[in-house]
Amino acid sequence: MLSAFRGVPASPGIVFGTVYLLRWEVPDVRHRIVADDEIDGEIARFHEALEAARVRVNRVRRRAERRAGPEEAAIFDVQLSMLDDVELVQGTESYIHRNIAAEKAFDLVMSEWRKNFARHSLPMVRERLGDLTDVHIRVLSLLLGLPDHDPVDVPQGAGAILVTHDLTPSLTVQLDPRAIAAIATDAGTRTSHVAILARSLGIPAVVGLKDATTRLRGRERAVLDGSTGTLIVDPSEAEEDAYRRRATQEALDDAELLRLSHGDTITTDGVRVTIYANVDLPEEADIAATSGAEGVGLMRTEFLVLGRTTMPDEEEQYRAYARVIDAFSGQPIIIRTFDIGGDKLPTGGYPVEANPFLGWRAIRMCLDEPELFKIQLRAILRAATHGDVRILLPLVVSVEEVRATRVLVAEAAAELAERGVAHRDQLPLGVMIETPAAAITADTLAGDVEFFSIGSNDLVQYTLAVDRGNVNLAERFTPLHPAVLRLIRDVVRASEAGGVQVGVCGEMASEPLHAFALLGLGVRQLSVAPRSVPLMKRLVRGVSVGIAQEAMTAALEAGSPQRAEAELRRRLLAAFGDAAFLRDGLLAT
Amino acid sequence: MAERSVQITNRNGLHARPAAEIVKAASRFQSEITLVREELEVNGKSIMGVMMLAAECGSTVTVRATGPDEEMALESITDLIHRGFGEV
Repeated sequence: MLSAFRGVPASPGIVFGTVYLLRWEVPDVRHRIVADDEIDGEIARFHEALEAARVRVNRVRRRAERRAGPEEAAIFDVQLSMLDDVELVQGTESYIHRNIAAEKAFDLVMSEWRKNFARHSLPMVRERLGDLTDVHIRVLSLLLGLPDHDPVDVPQGAGAILVTHDLTPSLTVQLDPRAIAAIATDAGTRTSHVAILARSLGIPAVVGLKDATTRLRGRERAVLDGSTGTLIVDPSEAEEDAYRRRATQEALDDAELLRLSHGDTITTDGVRVTIYANVDLPEEADIAATSGAEGVGLMRTEFLVLGRTTMPDEEEQYRAYARVIDAFSGQPIIIRTFDIGGDKLPTGGYPVEANPFLGWRAIRMCLDEPELFKIQLRAILRAATHGDVRILLPLVVSVEEVRATRVLVAEAAAELAERGVAHRDQLPLGVMIETPAAAITADTLAGDVEFFSIGSNDLVQYTLAVDRGNVNLAERFTPLHPAVLRLIRDVVRASEAGGVQVGVCGEMASEPLHAFALLGLGVRQLSVAPRSVPLMKRLVRGVSVGIAQEAMTAALEAGSPQRAEAELRRRLLAAFGDAAFLRDGLLAT
Repeated sequence: MAERSVQITNRNGLHARPAAEIVKAASRFQSEITLVREELEVNGKSIMGVMMLAAECGSTVTVRATGPDEEMALESITDLIHRGFGEV
């Protein structure tokens, strides 16, 4: 029987494979009493299990070190010291002396520790819970004689679709792309650690599948489509054929598009449009540079702090930025400062908020923590000696935030000068236009910045009051809503009047229909995922701004997002006729 | 019994790696080692205990050693904390 799971697309690509179910959960342990003469034997059994776990962790650690490097492998050192923990050993032994079986004794002690860690007020401590859980599961599995579920045991070439609840960092570093063909998780979002890692390793992934692990048994045949976020289990022959054709077509299209990706991007009526790439990780820089992108329109810097246990220092940040700048040899690189809430910082001590999207985050947090912010600013000023770097501030709602940042940039430059380190004193400063406040006051902001970058995802979310992560609201997340279109139109006008550049860096820039709309609104700079760069170049070269403007006039008067979409779609399809690459993209929207 | 208070100076406080170093150092001695911060007392030879302490940069920790080699143990552990575990 065919069953389809819908989740969140996390890393693109179509994979045919076999479900490999990874249950990394603490097993249930029954209470068991042992006789007095069994106590010594139970204690010996407990120590054997600890030793076997040590051997196992060391093996995993060596694999992780080869695959991901010594820094990533160091997380296993913590687990190794836990296996030697004197309190853990003594606590377990004292329960066994009270006639409790080894597995229950260990389970009682570990459960107590995990409860204490989970309740701790500091995130720094709560984050270690994953390590305690790993140790708990590993030793219990050995004591209970359960099969070991480490993903290290998937053979190479297995074409495994790894299905699991969530990937802890210690599981993630064990992933071997030669054995694991795709990843599917119950938990997670597009920006969670597993999604970012899957993209950087080039492994197709779907996250947020909710209950896949409880509904699957393992060993099923399946198709995972990372572009649409679907996992089809036991596909019918027809279903499988359809996916095979799509996979072949995608590969052909990619090759064809790549061939067309170089050179300028000019519309049929002679208007030049700049196509930049978005870069989430330094590792993506080379792929982005060869995609035909003319620079980086949005370099996110969240990877530096998410899922980490320590704050990256100036040197590490400098190297990460320089790597991207060097890959683009002289082309513009727009670096966005940290766009996260305080609860995501490894330094800890900040409260979890009820409403993080309206909370203490991004530029608000950075300005309130100037010492932390200046580390990033110093790293950027240093990296700017490698090329054309610009600084982009997220979630700005007022010109005061821009002015306060300029003061900090000047301080950062002075500190570097004092240390005698090579750097640039000043860089072009821009703001994300992602709140209605910034969009409506764009004319004022234009007086204090060098450029605007419209973040369409958040602009839609904040304008329509629709959370785009909420599955019940998916239909209501409409970038072609007249309110959004009018805001973008006004921002473009304000930028022209104020003589500042404007680009769009959200998902809107990657959708053919939406990109067409943006051209009609006067946007001449689009920043998209590296994979979408060739598609966008081909799109722009096939349309005229004249028709886009005409379509946009009709869309703005249409009154509803659905009618606006129909107006745009009709004209775009007319311009391209039968172009298959576009039809697929349009049907998907 | 020997006892001394030290301030945590490394930027990230007693996170996992420094905690592991303290445990390694403490385990080399016969003496019982206790770390105290505010109300919380933990075994200096237990990684989970030292991590629970969650001593941040700038906080003060009291190190207590009891046993035949208590002076040497105290010296070794407080020195490690003073040097900031080799972090900048």
